[in-house]
Formats: sequence, C-alpha cells, structure tokens
Amino acid sequence: MFTTNPSLKAPSAVAAAGIIAVLMSGLASAQDSIKIGAPLPLTGPVSPEGLKQKRGYDLWADTANAKGGIKAGGKTYKVEIVYTDYASNTPRAVQSAERMITEDKVNFLFAPFGSGATKAASAIAEKYRVPMIAASASAAEIFDQGFKYIFSSLTGNDTVSVPIANLVTSKNKDINRVTILARNDLFPLAVAQEFEKAVKEKGLEVVASERYAIGTMDHSAAITQMRAARPDWFYASGYINDLMLIRRQMNDLGLRAPVITMLAGPAYTEFAKTVGPLAEGITTMSWWHPAVRYKGKDVFGSTEAFNAAWEKKYGGEADYVEASAAVDGAILQMAIEAADSIDPEKVRDAIAAIDAETFYGRVKFGPGGQINSLQPPVLQLIGGKPVILWPDSIKSGELKFLPK
Amino acid sequence: MIYLQIVANGIVLGGLYACIAVGFSLVWGVLNVINILHGTFIVLGSYVAYFGYVRFGIHPFVSIVIAGAALYGLGYLLQAGIINRVIAAPVLITLTLTFGLDLILNNAILLAFTADYLSVTLAHPLPSLELGPVFLPGDRVAAMALAIVLTFLLQRLLRDSRIGRAIVAVRMDREAAALMGVDVKRINAVTFAVGAFMAGAAGALLSIIYPISPLNSQVFLGKAFVVCVLGGLGSVPGAIVGGLVLGVVESFCGYWFGAEHVVTLSFGLLLILLFVRPSGLLGRRGYG
Repeated sequence: MFTTNPSLKAPSAVAAAGIIAVLMSGLASAQDSIKIGAPLPLTGPVSPEGLKQKRGYDLWADTANAKGGIKAGGKTYKVEIVYTDYASNTPRAVQSAERMITEDKVNFLFAPFGSGATKAASAIAEKYRVPMIAASASAAEIFDQGFKYIFSSLTGNDTVSVPIANLVTSKNKDINRVTILARNDLFPLAVAQEFEKAVKEKGLEVVASERYAIGTMDHSAAITQMRAARPDWFYASGYINDLMLIRRQMNDLGLRAPVITMLAGPAYTEFAKTVGPLAEGITTMSWWHPAVRYKGKDVFGSTEAFNAAWEKKYGGEADYVEASAAVDGAILQMAIEAADSIDPEKVRDAIAAIDAETFYGRVKFGPGGQINSLQPPVLQLIGGKPVILWPDSIKSGELKFLPK
Repeated sequence: MIYLQIVANGIVLGGLYACIAVGFSLVWGVLNVINILHGTFIVLGSYVAYFGYVRFGIHPFVSIVIAGAALYGLGYLLQAGIINRVIAAPVLITLTLTFGLDLILNNAILLAFTADYLSVTLAHPLPSLELGPVFLPGDRVAAMALAIVLTFLLQRLLRDSRIGRAIVAVRMDREAAALMGVDVKRINAVTFAVGAFMAGAAGALLSIIYPISPLNSQVFLGKAFVVCVLGGLGSVPGAIVGGLVLGVVESFCGYWFGAEHVVTLSFGLLLILLFVRPSGLLGRRGYG
C-alpha cells in the first residue's frame, strides 16, 4: 500500500497542470471582466433595502453574463460586482466607495442606499471621475451640486405626487376637502409636502394636515380629528406597516372618503394580502411597478421578460427599488456598448447621452444626472390587484371612487 | 362630543398598553430583572397566533393560551438555564444579558420569518360598535377586555395560589423566603416564565391589531417601560392604571398638540412622574 507507484505520478502532474491552467484562466478572465463596486447596507437598520438593491444588481449581472457578457472595443467582458457592507453607516459607505476605487480598482460604481448616503458618496465618484448610478436616490439636492459623475434612475418626489392630483381633479370636480397624515421622516414627509403643494395648486382645500412620529402605535387621535373634518380625499404617507395600521384604524373609527391615497406601500403585493378587503380602491403611486408594460433595447428586453427572470431567480415580483437597481446595470451596459470602451470618461458621456426604451420605462437623464423621462404610474387596487390609471400609454383601467 | 371619542380611543389603547406591560412589570418587580427580551416575546406570541390562524384556522383569541404556554416554556428554559446564573448580580448585568439574548432571539426570528410584515386578517372581523357619535373598534375592545381578564387572573394567581404567595414572598425578602422553605431558584424561573406567558398572550391578542414583524419588539418594549414606571413596579393593578393613563394622555395629546408630539409628551410625563413620584402611581413593595 505504501510503496511508491510511478503510475500515480502522471495523474498528479496532470492535476498540477490543470490547477495551473485554471489559475491562468482565472487571471485571464479577471482581465476581461468589468468590475463594478456596490457599497450596500447589507446589515443594520436599512439592510432590507440594501438587500433589495443587491438582488436587482445580481439579476442584471447574471442576465448579462448568461447572454455572453458585455462587448466593447473588440473584447467581451464578464460582469463582476464587488460588494461591501457598510452596515447602514453613511460615513462607512463613503469610505467603502473610495476604497473600491483605490484598492479594488473597480471600473464603475453603484450608489449606496437612499438619498443621504448617495449624496455623500457622489463626492467620491466626482473626485475620482468614476461614473456612479443610484437606484434609490430621488432628492433634488443630489443633482444640483453640479456634479458630472452621478446618475439616478428615480425621478424627483414631485413626480409621485403631482400626477395623482391632476388625475383625481380631472375626473371629479366635487373632490374639495383633503386631509393629509404624514410620517415625520425624510421621504414620507417630503412626498406628503409635495402632495400638499400639488393639491393646493389645483385649488383644493387642505382641511387637516398632521404628522406622526416614527414608531407610532396608534393613529386614533389624528383619525378622529380627520373624521370630523369630513374629507373627500384622505392621503397618508409612511411605510407599509404604518399604512396597514392607518387603514385598519380608519375602518375602526368610521373614517370614509371617496378617494384614499397611500404612499408607499399599496404598490407591494404584501399590502393587499395583509390588509384584505380594506385595500380595495386605495390609490397609490410608485416609480415602477411590475404591472407596467414596456418594451426595451436593454438586456432584459421587456417588462414581461424582466418579471419572468425575477420570478425564476427569486420568486414573486420585484418592487421599484429592485427594478431600479436592475435597470442601473442595464443602463451601464448600454452605455459601455455605445461608448465601445470601458474608459470611465467615455462611459460617463455615453450615460449622459442615453435616450433609450427599457423594461423600466424610457431612460434619459437631465443635466444634473437625474432621470427625467420616467413617468411613475398611478395605481389603484381593485380586487386585490393593481390597475394602472396613468400614464395613458400603459393604462389598464379607470379611477373608481369609493363610497362616502 | 369629539372628546367622548378621544376618551374612548384612549381607554381602548390603554388596555392594550396594560397587556403589553404586565409581564414586564412582574419580572422587573419580583426578580429585579429588566427583561429586554419582553418585546421579542410579544412578537413571538404574535407569530404563534399568526401561524395558528393561517395554518390551522385557530382563532387568535384561542391562541392566547397556546402562545402563552409556548412562551412559558421558553421563558422557563432561558431563566433556569442562563439568567439564573447571574440573578443575584447587579441589575445592569442582567440587563446586559437579556439585551444580548434579545439580539440573538430577534435576529433568529428575522432569519426565520424575515422582516416582512404579516397580518392576521380575520375571516369574520368584529364590527365596530357605534354608540351615537362614538365608534368602538370591536377587535380592540375584545382584545382589551381579554387583556384585563388575563391581568385579573394573574392577580388572583399571585394572591390565592401557593406558588403566587411564594413569588410575592421572594419579591419581599429573598433570604427569608428561602429560610421558610421556598425553592427560590424554581420560583425565579416560574416568575420569569409567567412574565413570558403574559408576553406571549399579549402577542396573540395584538396579532389582530398590529402588523407582525420582529422590528416591533422595540416599540413594545418602550411602551412597557413607560407603563411600568407610570403604574409602579410593585403592582398588577399598577400596570392597568399605568396603561390606561398613558393611553388617555396620548390620545388627548395627539388631539390637542398633533400626532407628532405624542411620544415626546408621553416621555415628558414619565420624567415628571419620576421626579415627583418615583414609585409610580400605585407602586409599593410586595407584588399583588
């Protein structure tokens, strides 16, 4: 058993050669890959959002690689996404972005989660002249800095407030009295303020406007007050758990209104499932929704194809952050192919010049880098399913008013 | 007339607060353990009720007993196996220990059930009662009534049963109770487990009212703190009074000053009370 058998040496030499070959091919493929740095909050309070972005990026990378990678300058590149976890701590997001450029030598960046961290990291992208695309940043303050390397696939907060004000007022002239219940938190408050501005411009009267603190367990005081104000239109902003509780307490306390609008929550399948019959007739807006129907020249090809790929990889439906992350990859891919180069400056110019249809909608960026071609849909839940009321090009139903 | 509705809102909310706080108060009062796990215990109770309803069609009100029993077992094991080792240590040590255990348990729930919100949507929800201009939400009123019944039963347990008297004896004087033949270690574990039972039962009740997620545990814990300090640590009726006072105060604050100031005002009230009456409204030594 323990005597040396010369015949065993040959296979081991073959194995060694094989290992070297694998290592060599590893080196070769490393040269032919495009590295994109994605600092994300994979742990900590906003980790659910960070994980959503990761799912979007991963689906794009898998799809692009399965279709043979990205072609530029006569070469074919594999997509490689480098992740770091900044543990929901914005200063660390900025450090991660910088280290990815200087140490990991990434070619491009995907922005961290949310407007705050994206704004902070945009200074790094600008300093090193590396294009960075953001999936979840909508605040105007990011795009009026005069930066050239930051792009975002979410439109401003007014675009998820103004269209619904226009739609409701055009359908029914008797809607006059509006009550607004807003979560006192960055995005929900900003979007509610945009809504208040929009309905006032339409000549409606805001008869009650209340803010509630983060972690509020009871909305009965505000709802009692709003019931006394007899609204035609009840609007609430917050996250899904807040809105579920608000909707139930409205019912408990007998607050009814012909139009009930809630943001952001009813666009998720979870909402209709958990709120049950009380979800009926609620209107909302979302930057993107799986019910939209677009055809595109991007790697996914159409909304249906994107939905199918999503279902296959993760099950269920993507939400707007997940779709926005996936389209960021698709945008980068289109820009690299248009520039026919992976040179960051050339790709930056190609992103700035892009005007393309995608599964996500039309993609075209304004001078500050924020997408300005997207028309976030107005949705209404009918029979537990979202019906698209606007834009007209993808409309699937008419606005229904609730009994007063 | 609107004030009647606000009082009604406050009382219904207060009943739920009392039910959140009573187990926490018991453990703090008797064992001198600030049980950071309490919020997570409530959330676990809600999950038991949720799965009981969705999988087996068991009404959440029936699940009160099931969730309570499950949490009783878990609480007993945690106390007898881990917390008892440091039970005599200063309160900061037990607080740190339960804080650590809470991190583990809460993250385990996150892993198992994710942070997605679940909700028990009853096939036959209880309708709201309309008494003239006042609306009383049926499910909340029922939950509040059951919470008060449970709290009353706990009170009877402490007053009338051998084990209850032993718990009160340990609360009053640990050494003397041991000299009288009380198995202090066992009573510690039973007390902690009864606290967990109340948390699990509260979780089952709340499952029909609040969306269920591990992220709620901190909110429940915060309310339990305020209610306990308001009502006084040494008393079951204190938890009810503390809960009702907090509910009514929050309800009026929300109406007069706006919903965004409710939390600030209720914690402000807590600070004032700590200053003028640190033992709480009904606080005294000896539980029950």
